[in-house]
Order: sequence, then structure tokens, then C-alpha cells
Amino acid sequence: MERELARERTLLRRKVSVAAVLTVLVMVSSLPHMLGLHSLPYLPLWFTSPWTQLILTTPVLFWCGRDFFTGAVSAFRQHSADMNTLVAAGTGIAYLTSLFTTLFPQVLIAEGLPTDVYFETAAVILTLVLLGRLLEARARGQTSEAIRRLLQLQPPTARVVRNGQPVDVPVSLVVVGDLVQVRPGEKIPVDGEVSEGTSWVEESMLTGEPTPVAKAAGDAVIGASMNRSGSFTFRVSRVGADTVLAQIVELVRQAQSSRTQVQRLADQVVGWFVPVVIAMAITAFVVWFLISGNPVLAMLFLVSVLVIACPCALGLATPTSIMVASGKGAENGLIFRSAEALETAGKLRTIVLDKTGTLTRGQPEVTDFERLPGGVLQAGTLLALTAALESRSEHPLAEAITTYARSQLKDADLPAVQGFEAVAGRGVQGVVAGQQVRVGTPRWFEELGIDTAALKPLVERLEAAACSVAAAVVDGRIEACFGVADPLKTGSEAAVAALRRLGLQVVMLSGDARRTAEVVADQVGIERVIAEVRPADKASVIRKLQEQGDGPVAMVGDGINDAPALAQADVGIAMGTGTDVAIAASDITLISGNLAGVPAAIELSRAAMANIRQNLFFAFAYNVAGIPLAAGLLFPLTGWLLSPMIAGAAMAFSSVSVVSNALRLRNFRPARLPLPTT
Amino acid sequence: MLILAAEAPLWRTIDQPVALKGLVAMVGLLLIAWQLWWFLGRHGGGVAARESEAGVQEITITVDGGYTPSRIQVKAGRPLRLSFHRIDPSGCVAQVIFPDFHKTLDLPLEATTSLELPPTEAGVYPFHCGMNMVRGVLEVVD
Repeated sequence: MERELARERTLLRRKVSVAAVLTVLVMVSSLPHMLGLHSLPYLPLWFTSPWTQLILTTPVLFWCGRDFFTGAVSAFRQHSADMNTLVAAGTGIAYLTSLFTTLFPQVLIAEGLPTDVYFETAAVILTLVLLGRLLEARARGQTSEAIRRLLQLQPPTARVVRNGQPVDVPVSLVVVGDLVQVRPGEKIPVDGEVSEGTSWVEESMLTGEPTPVAKAAGDAVIGASMNRSGSFTFRVSRVGADTVLAQIVELVRQAQSSRTQVQRLADQVVGWFVPVVIAMAITAFVVWFLISGNPVLAMLFLVSVLVIACPCALGLATPTSIMVASGKGAENGLIFRSAEALETAGKLRTIVLDKTGTLTRGQPEVTDFERLPGGVLQAGTLLALTAALESRSEHPLAEAITTYARSQLKDADLPAVQGFEAVAGRGVQGVVAGQQVRVGTPRWFEELGIDTAALKPLVERLEAAACSVAAAVVDGRIEACFGVADPLKTGSEAAVAALRRLGLQVVMLSGDARRTAEVVADQVGIERVIAEVRPADKASVIRKLQEQGDGPVAMVGDGINDAPALAQADVGIAMGTGTDVAIAASDITLISGNLAGVPAAIELSRAAMANIRQNLFFAFAYNVAGIPLAAGLLFPLTGWLLSPMIAGAAMAFSSVSVVSNALRLRNFRPARLPLPTT
Repeated sequence: MLILAAEAPLWRTIDQPVALKGLVAMVGLLLIAWQLWWFLGRHGGGVAARESEAGVQEITITVDGGYTPSRIQVKAGRPLRLSFHRIDPSGCVAQVIFPDFHKTLDLPLEATTSLELPPTEAGVYPFHCGMNMVRGVLEVVD
């Protein structure tokens, strides 16, 4: 494909050069006629003859411009009309009338008509349009640059351990399960899991996150990311089309193949554009013939209208912007699933953030371990008893307590548990080392008739700090209590502030108790909180917001538990974990788990939509202004007649300017996105 | 050259017989009507895809200036295989895009490239070339 495009560009360049040389000669040859003179010094008469111009123009039209004519003919057979139709008709008519004048001048003289020829008009128009096409092809090549750059990220070979020896193997031959060695400064060829060694890896080219990530045994690595300092070996988990890189490329390609609502409108216009322009051109001919009786003058108006109209600019207006914007997004770890996602994201009014896993890390940690006055056990013994019991539970709180206890106990062996029981919504109980141990909510112990008065002030203080509280009770004595909190992700507060600066209403959605949720909301600066929402009800909360007129509404979640809510929202934004792009069910995927990507994505959408509006406005305005001018509508007022050659130049550069304007999006850099380090 | 002044030799009024003026106007109007009908009118109901034994609907589309056929009729709820045979060297048609399916297909020159589409609901699904100038329509009917 690439080679074919390159070959085509080379051929196009050659055609433009040949056309340019011949056209300059034709123009020199037609100088005396243009100046209204019989001859010019240094120009022999044979050179300024119409026959010379005919000989020079013919190859320009039918070799250099061959594609316009063949394209127009095949389109015509298909009952369709396009760019080629207009160019071929415009230049063809100028050429044919001039040919007639050259062959049978006596017919015109007998009728009292002028015998001017317009070969130079046909040649100039064709050369300019061809030049425009070359410039446009070059600019269009740059719009898909992002994808090409992504594809080039993957190194060609991998150092695979085969029979205990490292061997360089082409990446296409690496299979799942292979062990691959990576040295400092090398690129990681495919996705996998570190089995040995440690290092820092730079993933900015995929996630947009500038800081290198520490990798040790068990950590996932992404193909195409750059190993910084250490050496390590990893086991391949995904190759070929399954890798994160391949999936990103595929998602971006899909987005680039989709179209926006505005594009649908432009498409409809393009459909009937060319036939309407042809109708206007014929009308211009008839009207000017009726006014002046001069067929040559009328013909020039006809040609001008045909060649000034540019349906290409309309057709290219949105796809080029979408191409550049989605590529730009990918560079920053923001993957848009479709053009419509890009379009809607720019119009959002409300953004709903899921608390757990989005604003917070999603992994609760013990932040406080408080002994109570009535306790008799030593801290170590108590932690061992609690950890033994909690390690049997799968509750996230229990996991946090177990992890904390183990880290304090330095991985000592835990005593056995007998008669383990989980009491839903309350806690767990069992017999550990001959003692009755319970870990659970303070309310549970109140219900059991245990004196919890000493616990009250602690509970209040911890809840005010957005902690969940679990108490440990041994043989009916309250020994201690744990404060467990899900810490905020760094940057959550800044991201919320950025969203508010963008004029969005920010809402936090949480399954936690209202008080806990409000504390977190307060910490990040969110005013509207919808708390105590069960996971299954998240989608209906979004629907309610949409019905209340808060829309369009975006939902930001981790993409796994929130799938229905993400689907219900006008724009579902999933926070990736860097290794799992499979969450493509969302409209926008942030490859990094960084919330800063949300305002960045919205800013990019707004920039892209503004760019599309500029392009469409320019394309419409150009045609709306250009066609009447070419038809001579302003002549009675101003005496202006547009030369067909100028009309051709205007057309050639209108589509180039649309593509160039779209390319300006490449300079887009959201204020809150870190600079890529490469 | 940029703007031709009214005094230039080009601007010359010539007396033409009324009959000729009438004829030119007539021919012009007929030409307008005919080209509008030719380009915008409906021509034929489209070509139906044929069904293979496996239940997959198949059709081959020739890419040469346009898509032949450009209006394709298929049945709803059955998988579809579209084969594009490109013989047009123009770079414009090197890609075919199905926006409703989020699919882009690269078409190498002088080769046939296939695209499989899942069963779809009844409706009209346009497709077009990379530059959005050459178009076709997929009509899915019940």
C-alpha cells in the first residue's frame, strides 16, 4: 500500500513537471493574442500560431490529465459525477472550442465571430489542479502519520531465549509463552509479564504518562514501550493482533473510518453538488449568450463555473480533522472509538465520576490502627488473630486488614481458624487459638450488646476522614479498631478542577455511605454527590441525569463494573490500566489510569469540532462565494469577470487549505497534559 | 489577465437572431434537465447479492472510476462478504470506507480484497472511497 502510494506520488510529480513546462510554453505562445497584438519581437510567427498551442496543450490534457478524463467517463457510466467530471468538462470544453476555431476559422469569420483560441486556459487550469492534487496528497499523507508512528514503535526483532540461549528472532515468530530478554535502552517487543529482573520502563508513547514505571517480577509490560535502566526477562502473554499496540492501532483506525453527524450533512450536499454546479454552468452560458450574443464569452463563463466549484473541500472537511484528532489522541493515550464520540465529547455538560477506582486507587488500605483502653492483648498477637480470621474473607476491607497485618508481622505464620463464619453486612467471626474473635462494624457489636462507648469518638474521627471502620473484638472485649480508606489517586483534585474550568458540572457517584462519599468529594472539590448507589443502579442514575436535562452526560469508570452505566451515558469513558485495552466497549478509553486524560480528551474534542466547523464553513463559503463570481453575477455591478485560469487556481488551493487547516490540530496540546518525553 | 476588463477585445456584443437565442436557451434547459436526471435520478433498483450454500451472501464489486454495482441489495440478518476488485490506478479509490461499520479496507491495485460484514438490520448503509467522492450504497432489506 505504502509503496503504491509512493509510486503514485512520483508519477504525479513527473506529470506536474511536464505539464508546467508545456503550459509555460503555451502561455508564451499566446502572449501576442492576450496583449491584443499581431506579433511580438523575438517570437517567430509559427510559435505563436494556434497550431503550436494545440500541439503543446494536447499532451498536457491527455497525458498529464488523463486520470481526470478516464475518471470522469467511468463515473459518468455509474450515473455519478465528481471532481473529475468538473475538471474534465471545464478543460475539455475550452480545448474543443479552441480546436474547432483552429481547424475551421473561416466558419467563424463568416459569422462575424472572434477566432480567439483558449488552449492556454485549458493547460493552466489542468496544471494548477494537478499541482493542487499533488500538494493535497502530500498533506493527506501527514494526516495518518500518527498511525504510522504507532506502527513503527514496535521493534523488528526480539531476543528470545531458545534452548537456554538468547537468539534474535523476528517479532512475527515470537509466540505466547516465549521468554524474551530486554537490555537497557531497548524497546520491549511484545506484551508480557516480567519473570526475572527489575527495571524502569517508559510507556509514554502508549499511555501519555511521562514518568517511567517501575517493573519487577509479576508486573505486566507493554510491547513498544522503552526499557530505561535495568535488564529483565519477561514471559510473552500476547502477540500479533492481541497486543495493546495492535489494539490501539485498530481502535484508532476504526474511529477514523467512522463519521460524525455533521459529516452526514456534508455527504448529502456532496451527493447533489456536482449536478447542481453543472446546471449553474449551463445557465451561465445561456444567460450570457442571450445578453451578449458572444458564444466565446459565454463559453468562458461556463468553464469558470465548472472549475471553480470544489466538492472535494466539502468531502474532506471533516474526515481529515477526525484523522488528525484521533491520531493526536492516540499519541496522548486517549483512544476515541468513533468520530461520534469525538463529536459528543465536545458538547458534554455533565461529567459523572465513579469514586472507587476512578478518583481513588480502588485498593483500600489501613490508615489507622488504634488500640482501645479495655484491650489486654499485645499488638502483635492481636494482629495475628485478626489477620488469621480476615484472610479467610474476600471482602475488600478484610483484604486491606490482612495486608496491613502481614506487613506488620513480617509474614509470620498465622494461627488456624475454626468455625469461620461471615455475617453479611456485619463482619466475620471464628475461633482462633482458642479465643472467640470477631472483626466487623461497630454497629454489629452494639447489636450483640457489647459496650461500644469507648469506640464512639474514634469512629467519628475516622469517618470524618472518609475511613470505613472495623473493630476487633476478642472474647467480648473491644481490643482495637481499624480505619480503612481508599486513598485518592494523585492528580484527582487537579483533574476535577480542570473539568470545572472547562465549564462542566462534575458529579461523583459512589456506593459508599453518604458521609464517607461527601468527605472524598470535598477533598477533590466536587459539590454534587450521589451516594449509596448499588452497582446495578448506576445506569439508572445516569438516565435520570439525562432526563433532568443535565445532558449530554459522560460517565467515567473503570470499564469493568461500570459497563452498563458507561453504555447508558452519552459518552462512556473507561480508565485503562495500561495493559487492558479490551475495554473497548467505551466511547473513549484512557490508556493510562490518569484522570487528567478526561479533561484532555474533552479539550481535544472541542478543538477538533472547532476545526471541523472552520473547515465546513470555509468549504461552503468558498463555493457559495466562488460560483456566483465565476458565473459573472457581479459583472453588472463591478465590471468584474473572473478569468477561468484564476477559477482553476482557486479550486486547486481550496482543498489544500482544508487539509492544511486540519493539520493544525497536530499542534494541539492540552494545557493539562504533560509533554511527551520523546 | 486576472480580471478581464469590459474593454478587452473579448468583450464584444454580437447581434444574434432571436431564433438562435431561443434555440440555445432550449438546448440549455434540456441539457440541464437531462443531466440532473442522469446523475440524480434513480437508475435500477440495485444488484442483489447471491447467496452461497453456507448462508453467506456474496457479491463482487469492480472498482473502476466508480463501484460496479454501486447499489447493492442484501437480506437482513445474514452475514455478507463483499469482494472489491480494483482496476482503477487512482489513489482516491485505494481505500473503501464503511462508516456505519467503522471499517476501512485497503484495496491493492489489480487485486480482489474481501470484507466480511456481520448480519445487520434493514436499512441503507452508504460506503465511499477514502476521499468521499466515489460512493456506493448497501441496501439491507427484510
